[in-house]
Amino acid sequence: MNRFAKYIAFTGCLALLLSFTGKHPPEPHVVTLRFHSVVGNHSLELGRSYVNALGDTIAVQRFKYYVSNIIITDAVGKDVYLFPRRYYLVDAEDSASQSIQLKIPALPLKQVRFTLGVDSIRNVSGVQTGALDPLHGMFWTWNSGYIMAKLEGVSSSAHVPGQRFTYHVGGFKAADNTARVITLDLPPGTAPVDEINIAADINAWFKGGFLLKIGEHPICHSPGGLAVQIADNYKGMFSISSVR
Amino acid sequence: MRFCKTIWVVVLLLVTGIAWVAADNAYFRPRPVKFTVPAGWPQPVYDFKSNPLTQEGIALGRELFYDGRLSKDGNFSCGSCHQQFGAFDTYDHNLSHGFDNSFTTRNAPGLFNLAWQKEFMWDGGINHLDLQPLAPLTAPNEMAETLENVMAKLKADKKYRAMFKAAFGDETINTQRMNKAISQFVLTLVSSNSKYDKVKRGEASFILPEQLGYDIFKKKCNSCHTEPLFTDFSYRNTGLKADPYLNDVGRMKITGNPADSLKFRVPSLRNVARTFPYGHDGRFFSLSSVFEHYRNGMTVMHNTDSLLQHKLALSNFEIGQLTAFLYTLTDSSFLTNPRFAPPGSENIGKAPVDIHL
Repeated sequence: MNRFAKYIAFTGCLALLLSFTGKHPPEPHVVTLRFHSVVGNHSLELGRSYVNALGDTIAVQRFKYYVSNIIITDAVGKDVYLFPRRYYLVDAEDSASQSIQLKIPALPLKQVRFTLGVDSIRNVSGVQTGALDPLHGMFWTWNSGYIMAKLEGVSSSAHVPGQRFTYHVGGFKAADNTARVITLDLPPGTAPVDEINIAADINAWFKGGFLLKIGEHPICHSPGGLAVQIADNYKGMFSISSVR
Repeated sequence: MRFCKTIWVVVLLLVTGIAWVAADNAYFRPRPVKFTVPAGWPQPVYDFKSNPLTQEGIALGRELFYDGRLSKDGNFSCGSCHQQFGAFDTYDHNLSHGFDNSFTTRNAPGLFNLAWQKEFMWDGGINHLDLQPLAPLTAPNEMAETLENVMAKLKADKKYRAMFKAAFGDETINTQRMNKAISQFVLTLVSSNSKYDKVKRGEASFILPEQLGYDIFKKKCNSCHTEPLFTDFSYRNTGLKADPYLNDVGRMKITGNPADSLKFRVPSLRNVARTFPYGHDGRFFSLSSVFEHYRNGMTVMHNTDSLLQHKLALSNFEIGQLTAFLYTLTDSSFLTNPRFAPPGSENIGKAPVDIHL
């Protein structure tokens, strides 16, 4: 048995012993952030064909992105709940990955802030574990750094083999940085919040300050100008669809 | 009185518990290995605090380094392209062999003194030693395997589970631990015992051609191939036209900056007599062809290094003396150190005999 397991066993025994005498602490309240993918007004179904905001057809096969450094503020704007050094890989293919549980007291909340992507420190600190493990295919091995967000699919406008458009957006160095801080205000209300539903609209990738025409740019696979333009677009993909 | 008794029982329980937790762990704790910085060398850049060297960690790294199962078809270990007798490059190969009869696109560099190196690959694209193995492991023309499969193979192997436990305290096997172990092994590959080093330490002296070569070296080569590591780790355009079949733009691939076109990392000259062929694509099969490139063959471009804008004037005499000096950088104790050889094998310490000049 290793030391960690022993600690668990020992503290478990101790806790059990103490639980006979002490009062149970209240269960911490959990707020769930739930991400769901949409294309405009439609819920995203992988493999199904949609027409994007620029009129290109798209059938999305992969859609993943990192969510990190979540910060939640309460309605008064006084208490701030920080979740630093926690990284989540939200994957349209894996529903479990789309829910993020945060321990926050039952309170009315005002704002959700998070980083779409991975901070530069984690890009230069060797091999990471968990959601940041390079085996998730979100890491460039030949030019060290995380792919902050990935969108792949088929489009009749993509004049490349398989008609596949592939956007692997990454880059963490100053001018090439593709991590974006997202700030979302919750609708004002007085009820304590249990669940925050956040929509990620794929249309925003194509239509923002930059018009990403699949015919012109079917591929983005390295840090640089195009990746930054796409990042400036996807910064606007999130909105709060409902709060419970 | 009864209260007092309860306290005693609790204290006793605590003490026994703590003793139980701490007890046999001391027995299983990996044994630390001290990393020695050779006298006169700069401090290493590798962060040993984040990955302290241990006997068990180094042994695991060595096992992984020489295990062909890390590749898709089982044929290619790290050691198949990084051979000890070639100072851990691919001996006598311009490019190395990879999965399914493929070739790599660059010359495998020798592996030594990696604790002093911040960026890896000829273009410096990899920013941490721990990340380096990911590239050859997953490249389709090298080991061609997925990290998921590598993890599955390691986890299925009882011996590896025991070795990971010995090195890291429990049987968890993940990418981070695998790569940290490989880093530990390759960090021990320190080459600091060549004749040059012995002369510097006052244990030997140069013969005349070596001394003359060293003097020329300090005048004409040392600003890029800086002592004691014999590289300044910079990226420079040395007037090598791109091979039309490889079309390798070098550093520009990483920075996207046209000013970095055809720039490659300055390689160390330690063990240079063993690391032929030379150049990022291994186009030079001998030292004399490298000298010939610098004095005649160079294609001077707008971003060719300022030190080489007029090529490098070298007389035949100078080339002869420089060659004598460069031979003093061969570290035979490094090339034959049995601790660096495949685990369990007897290192015969005999390198191939042909030496290209």
